[in-house]
Amino acid sequence: MLKNVLPNLIRLTKIFSLFSILSGEINIYSHRHYDSDKILFKKFTQQTGIKVNVVKGSADQLIQRLVTEGENSPADILLTVDAGRLERAKKMGILQSIDSKILRKNVPQLMRDPDNNWFGLTVRARVIVYAKDRVKPTDLSTYEALAEPQWKGRIAVRSSNNIYNQSLLASILAANGSDSALSWAKSVRGNMARSPRGSDRDQARIVASGLADIAIMNTYYLGVMSNSPDITDQEVAKKLGVFFPNQDGRGVHINVSGAGVTASSKNKKEAIQFLEFLTSKNSQEVFAKENYEYPLKVRKNKSKLLKSWGKFKYDQLQLSILGDNNTDAVKIFDKAGWE
Amino acid sequence: MFSLFICILIFTPIALVALQFNNNTENWDHIQQTVLTTYIFSTLILVLSTAILSTFIGVTCAWLVACCEFPGRKFFEWTLILPLTIPTYIAAYSYYDLLEMFTPMMIWIRSNFSPESMIYFNDIMVYLVTSLVMTSVLFPYVYLSTRASFLMQGNQLIEAAKTLGHKPSNIFWKVALPMARPAIIAGLSLVVMETLNDYGAVEYFGIPTFTIGIFRSWLGMNDMGSALKLSSYLLFFVFFILYIEKYFRGEAKFHQKNDSSRTYSPNLLKGKYSILAIFFCLLPLCLGFIIPITRLLFWASSVSGSFFDITFFQVIFNSIGLASVSSLLIVTLATILIFTSSYFQSKIVKVANQFAILGYSMPGAVVAMGFLLIAGYINQSMGYLLTGTLISLTFAYLVRFLAVAWQPIDSGMEKKCDQINQASRILGNSALISMFKLNLPLLKKSIIVAVLLIFVDIFKELPLTLILRPFNFDTLATLTYDLNSQAQLHESAIPALLIILVTIPPIIFLNNQLDDRL
Repeated sequence: MLKNVLPNLIRLTKIFSLFSILSGEINIYSHRHYDSDKILFKKFTQQTGIKVNVVKGSADQLIQRLVTEGENSPADILLTVDAGRLERAKKMGILQSIDSKILRKNVPQLMRDPDNNWFGLTVRARVIVYAKDRVKPTDLSTYEALAEPQWKGRIAVRSSNNIYNQSLLASILAANGSDSALSWAKSVRGNMARSPRGSDRDQARIVASGLADIAIMNTYYLGVMSNSPDITDQEVAKKLGVFFPNQDGRGVHINVSGAGVTASSKNKKEAIQFLEFLTSKNSQEVFAKENYEYPLKVRKNKSKLLKSWGKFKYDQLQLSILGDNNTDAVKIFDKAGWE
Repeated sequence: MFSLFICILIFTPIALVALQFNNNTENWDHIQQTVLTTYIFSTLILVLSTAILSTFIGVTCAWLVACCEFPGRKFFEWTLILPLTIPTYIAAYSYYDLLEMFTPMMIWIRSNFSPESMIYFNDIMVYLVTSLVMTSVLFPYVYLSTRASFLMQGNQLIEAAKTLGHKPSNIFWKVALPMARPAIIAGLSLVVMETLNDYGAVEYFGIPTFTIGIFRSWLGMNDMGSALKLSSYLLFFVFFILYIEKYFRGEAKFHQKNDSSRTYSPNLLKGKYSILAIFFCLLPLCLGFIIPITRLLFWASSVSGSFFDITFFQVIFNSIGLASVSSLLIVTLATILIFTSSYFQSKIVKVANQFAILGYSMPGAVVAMGFLLIAGYINQSMGYLLTGTLISLTFAYLVRFLAVAWQPIDSGMEKKCDQINQASRILGNSALISMFKLNLPLLKKSIIVAVLLIFVDIFKELPLTLILRPFNFDTLATLTYDLNSQAQLHESAIPALLIILVTIPPIIFLNNQLDDRL
């Protein structure tokens, strides 16, 4: 009996999914869990009448799912944070090249795949955050300087399981080579105030609490914290200053949140329309306002808070290289004993 | 034949993982040289410390509640199982800032000793706190099985020891405890498996266990082969634990009696002893239930009413529907499998069954990976897309939770139906008649217990659901996780509380069932 029922059930679910194709909608696999996205999805539907379906999940699992589903995948768009991941998705062959003038115009070259498989949507800077009462900004200079012994027991940074750290190390690897990246990772691990744990926000918290003096983290988290309904988070943010490292050299390490159209997409036209919408000027302002991320045109940001952190020079490294170096970066972390 | 087919189907994901043991993958050398020992040691430390803490708390509470008399004993008898309603990841969320409470102490150590000693001390605290948080919600497994054993032990022995003039403490160490050993081990093996299965809490507290390593190799290094190989190591570790458990339980059948009742006089605790007993039972109850619940309630109370829109009720409906349908299906299959093995007395089916129930010992994420492997094959060869459908999710639950249904039904079958079935077969009754007319009525209670156990488990389940669920489909567990990863701690308290509230009645019912059987 089971033998007959199973295929029929599967057919039935297929018929349902056919309906959805007819009525004009796009299916998104998304790693981003931000209110800014909800607002933008709604706006897109209002403007175009195209319905937006979302599966949220961890990006890596969504990528794995796309690989497994192959041609039959219902997803049209993979939306995730970190260029390293997008590049990995591209290498696995689950994205397709998109030819769009608008996207080429809206997305700076280093923030998109050279083969146009994925496009950055927002920019984030991974900076050094310091306790204003204990650390002078003049004590800080570069990422590389964090390896110096004066920072012993003073640094807070999260686990190397986190892709932001992997991409940071990938950029150091690209700039200084693997030997120096390894010794950097080793020294920074030795300088940590505690074994790496928790989110970027937690690193901010332990700097505020006095356990550590500086933290490596993404800027927008500070934005979220200083505007949090939670008063303790607001107080944490008040105690901290933002420092953009490597300003005399290659510039601060940046990364993007981005998206690509899946190779299996059945709604390619709508999917491209969606990406163009997200890179448009208005949407870019929503990202900055709601989620404190930098717009793709970093210098054109209008957010008061972002402006208060100051202007900065950023690393011009082609972001797809972060993906190329990812596995090596993970291995260096393993060798350095950075959990 | 049907049974065998089902067994094979269920066992495939596990077998696929086990087969990876000898597979040499691209990053394996690297893993072996750098992080493998870390994974092994941190897993062992965490498992051991959680096991020791759980035994200490579980056994002591069980002894106090089962063999002593003090004010509030009745109350503790059933409230001490309530921590079981809280999944480890929710426990970790509700204690998210526990470690930060030690910050002043750490700073003191740094300024009076050295940064090194602070770092060292911090590491110890991480393990201590994590195993404490795990213990606070897992100890009831030990408590339950040990309490049952204390109550079931032939009273004659304890009474005899008493008349011979032994002190209660002597009786505990020399008579009751050795006899309860198999039960303790049985409860402990569940604690260990839950600890190994956990992903949420260890990720939260930053402990590099095997599960973390699996995710790291799979997703961080994009090397599914190494991840599967790590999973296979974990699998063999679990085999080992199962073997130990079986070894100890093999002896246990001797002194488990069904008809003994609580006839011997319990130790009356007076004065400071009774206060001590109350305190000792109150402590785990607070840690494992009252404190997390209070904090969650506090957070939930600050959430605005607009949170409760239609989608939220849809999520509740999803959770209940999915858990009900799946648990019924799983129990039906389990009953068929166990019946086949009992009725036909077939060795092959028996062995196959043993393999099919291994899924429970596998971390949910590993089952999901095995399942993705199969789904990939099916997709390529037949063009059916299995991922992201409720069918696939239900199948994955089946792989993972079959064993949960197994325990109560199998022991019920062994006690009540084995001989009947053999007689029925000799008398020429068909398998179907034996099953429906003889076994089902006798097994009614065991089956209800099994359904409820699985319902509770699926209701709480996170990693499998997270990976395999369909579009726009949330359960209370995934919603809790999502909200939490968005750092919406207060909002996430609401689905977390609902998970706990819905699982309380089944857990209390199960506890009563256990009491009735004694």
